[in-house]
Amino acid sequence: MSAPDKGMLMAYADGRLTPDEALRVETWLKSHPEDAAEVTLWMRQNDAIRTLFAPVASEPVPARLRPARIAAEIGARQARSWRWAAAAVLLLGIGLGAGWAVRPLLETAPPASQMLIADAVNAHRVFAAESRHAVEVVAAEEDHLVTWLSNRLATPVGTPDLSGEGFFLVGGRLLPGEADIGGRAAQLMYENGAKERITIYVTAALPDHEPAYRLVSHDGAEAFYWADARITCTVVGTLPEDRMKTLSQAVYSQLAGTQV
Amino acid sequence: MSDFLDQIEACVPALRRYARALTRDADLADDLVQDCLERAISRRGLFRPAGPMRAWLFTILLNLYRNGLRNTRRRGTTVALDAMPVEPATPAPQPGHIALAEMARAIETLPTEQKEALLLIALEGLGYAEAAAILGIPQGTLMSRLGRARAALRAMTGGTGGPHLRTVK
Repeated sequence: MSAPDKGMLMAYADGRLTPDEALRVETWLKSHPEDAAEVTLWMRQNDAIRTLFAPVASEPVPARLRPARIAAEIGARQARSWRWAAAAVLLLGIGLGAGWAVRPLLETAPPASQMLIADAVNAHRVFAAESRHAVEVVAAEEDHLVTWLSNRLATPVGTPDLSGEGFFLVGGRLLPGEADIGGRAAQLMYENGAKERITIYVTAALPDHEPAYRLVSHDGAEAFYWADARITCTVVGTLPEDRMKTLSQAVYSQLAGTQV
Repeated sequence: MSDFLDQIEACVPALRRYARALTRDADLADDLVQDCLERAISRRGLFRPAGPMRAWLFTILLNLYRNGLRNTRRRGTTVALDAMPVEPATPAPQPGHIALAEMARAIETLPTEQKEALLLIALEGLGYAEAAAILGIPQGTLMSRLGRARAALRAMTGGTGGPHLRTVK
């Protein structure tokens, strides 16, 4: 027969040949001692390897290598991680919800004083220009005006006496406002002999009840704003700054100074 | 599911045996097997092996073993004394007899790819085709690795193979 290749010899040593093939190799080996020696050596190597390590397969298998137990542990781990995932989703939801809810606080909203001043100046522009409908309730009904506005603002609103400065009450009106910056507003209008007008824009106190004080020129008008624990008040007019200051001081001393 | 686990369980002794022979460390070997089983069981939904369970498990085990070797090499761990290359082989006490301790050390010094191949064939008794598939190599490559591994073992264990080994069973 032709010489079996090395793979064939190895397959013989490893017992991977069919009986026919094995017989042919055996025949060959009988007349080829070199090959026979090598094959024998390989068989001994195989034997030695099996002798060394085969007994491991007969050792009792440790509990940690039992598939059922591993499957149970994986199941428990996955359940835990599902719970964590669910918790994470829940927290994310809460975070988003809370974030959305406090969004107005987080947005770089202008401070309440700035918004109140803008509202006050805006209202001044609208109504100070009116002649017949400058006010809703005229000064002749001052008692009614005071009672009405105090009720609507849910805080006592007084009408300061600015006669010392030459200004007299024209009347007042109720204006809408943002709930979180004082709510509804009362606008009181004063006028002097030269038909110059100032308005006083009053709201209930801000949520923080913090005292504050600002004097600003806004949109061509002078605005003097203050806030205390009871009200916010913005005095608006287009008079020169020094006259506005004088008037504002008069308003302030009467509205802030008295616990009306 | 339980059938799947039963099939895996039937392979555990062989996996332990092979891992022990690869690592020569009982704890390390069982860690390897445990990792292998965990991977197989947790992946059962993703990948149901089409072929025999045994080949699939051995493939996983070998991948883990190689990854472990890579990590160990990166860490540069110390080499245990008895893992050092063997001293020049001493003559076998009996003609044709291979001293087991010597053989164990010799196997350890084989290149990993030769050791993996040889143990699949000699220890696990796998067919050449199956072993080649597990190792991800052509069968011809497997045969040459086996040949080199056996020649190396022969050189290291002093199995010179003389005329007195003529007898063949």
